[in-house]
Amino acid sequence: MVKLRLIYNHKSLGKPILAEVILKTGIPMNILEATVSPISGEILVDIDAPREKIDNIISLLEDLGVNVKEITQILEIDVNRCTSCGACISPCPTHALTLNQDLTLNFDEKKCVRCGICVDACPMRAIRFAY
Amino acid sequence: MTADEFVEYAKTYGVEAAAKEVDVVTTGTFGAMCSSGVFLNFGHSDPPIKMHKCWLNDVPAYGNIAAVDVYLGATALSETRGLEYGGGHVIEDFVSGKEIELRGEGFVTDCYPRSYIETTITIDDLNQAILLNPRNVYQRYNAATNTTDRVLYTYMGTLLPHAENVNYSGSGQLNPLYKDKNFETIGIGTRIFLGGGVGYIIGEGTQHNPQNQFGTIMVRGNLKHMNPKYLKGATIHKYGVSLYVGVGIPIPLINMRVAESAALSDEEIFTDIVDYGVPSSKRPSLRKVSYAELKSGKVVLDDKTVPCSSLSSLKVAREIAETLKKWIEEGLFFLSKPVELLPDYMEFKPLRVRRYEPRVKDVMVTNIITAKVTDDVKVVAKLIVKHNIDHVPIVDDEGRLVGIVTSWDIAKAVAKDSRSLNEIMTKKVITASIGEPLDVVIKRLSDHKISGLPVVDESNRIIGMVTTDDLAKFLGSRRGKVPW
Repeated sequence: MVKLRLIYNHKSLGKPILAEVILKTGIPMNILEATVSPISGEILVDIDAPREKIDNIISLLEDLGVNVKEITQILEIDVNRCTSCGACISPCPTHALTLNQDLTLNFDEKKCVRCGICVDACPMRAIRFAY
Repeated sequence: MTADEFVEYAKTYGVEAAAKEVDVVTTGTFGAMCSSGVFLNFGHSDPPIKMHKCWLNDVPAYGNIAAVDVYLGATALSETRGLEYGGGHVIEDFVSGKEIELRGEGFVTDCYPRSYIETTITIDDLNQAILLNPRNVYQRYNAATNTTDRVLYTYMGTLLPHAENVNYSGSGQLNPLYKDKNFETIGIGTRIFLGGGVGYIIGEGTQHNPQNQFGTIMVRGNLKHMNPKYLKGATIHKYGVSLYVGVGIPIPLINMRVAESAALSDEEIFTDIVDYGVPSSKRPSLRKVSYAELKSGKVVLDDKTVPCSSLSSLKVAREIAETLKKWIEEGLFFLSKPVELLPDYMEFKPLRVRRYEPRVKDVMVTNIITAKVTDDVKVVAKLIVKHNIDHVPIVDDEGRLVGIVTSWDIAKAVAKDSRSLNEIMTKKVITASIGEPLDVVIKRLSDHKISGLPVVDESNRIIGMVTTDDLAKFLGSRRGKVPW
């Protein structure tokens, strides 16, 4: 699973760029978030495909004027603040948060869909969005 | 031994043999303990002030205890930062050695000529900083789930709709009060681990209810010797602020009954999974569950397995039991004999409201205008205009509610050129029942962002209607406003 942040400028707004790329490559993408403002737009997509296909998608998008950033970190967890209580674990809809054998918190970035329920659920305010 | 170790040891060698080998079992818990706070003494300024109002980092503390003594409760909210900062956070900041802004107001007398004070203080400036928690360390706690169709933000954490998760609290077989569940060694004067320092049990906690295994303790300790690792300010989302407190109690195995209690394992300690979707103090239990199942991370509810996690930290609870064990082994901590044991029976009563409180039946309109699903949109539009109403419940031939149409739906029907009520009506109707308290109904209206509720009986027959207009007169200033 690779997460890409697609940043549209005012010129690329209004064109079905992502749809074109999906049709052209035949690779399904999961849109996690989309925002549009008068001068720009952003889409966060999750893609399950081999590396060379992802690179192909990135170059296609860039050719169509979209700025593509690969997301490597979604959440920042302050390990000094985290008490391993578990308040973030059961509400997570994709089971991205679990406890390790030694009771430290384990976060599986690949499963995260950036819904933010853990950010709110953490009593210690130890979790925040990395961007 | 820690309680975790003793449980394993007793499983292997039997309780009797284990009890002969082991003198003391150490326990631990680290969770949100809302009923906590600190007594602070600031010393006198020059000129002096009699502080009857006081704020610490904008969090109100209770004055009115002589001139410069205040009590800061863990759940007090910041007047500027709301739910993100409160009494629990101030306590943590004090223990961390941070500077705290102190503001105070007083009334002027010959003894105390100053009316206002504003300064910064640290814990070292205080004469006394005494953690004094009226109710800590529940013996066990209900686990929580939510059967409604919306996310609930409770003091038991974030609860997903349709019972999709379970949250619990407490350390189970490490829980201090479950390891001597009949209170044979725990009492007034018992020396304990409190917030990383040494404290004492000073009596039973408020709402102490030992006969149902909901015993609690009141504790006291010197904040100046505590550690911010074991006292942490917390925000429970959309609920409030609290303080996570670390407590560990040594249990001397004075007889076989105590040893048997100390040997109880997570498999043998049970609690209830309670539906927090029911907004009443009498919430139904869905099933019994052991701490072993809770700690496994998965719980079976009806025929599905749902994720389950804790709000209190087992990791820190274990650290506390280990630390206390080490203190005892190294001769840094001595056990004390209580001067009086805690009561083993205590009544726990609800608050009876003696004044009459209005309910749905007092505000509902009973001469309701209804329509049938076969009626024309135009007929309903005429009813709305004629009777000057906004809601028309749609009923079947027996008067049972099947839908609702608002004036807005009629406007939509006109815009779409639709004539069929079946197409435009809301079929999943949010309703009220006749005996419900108004607060519950008002919250339901606001949760669903609607302006009217049909009142139905047990067989879903419509008997009245409650609207925001009817309720408006009850929304006066005497009502508590939600602080966010």
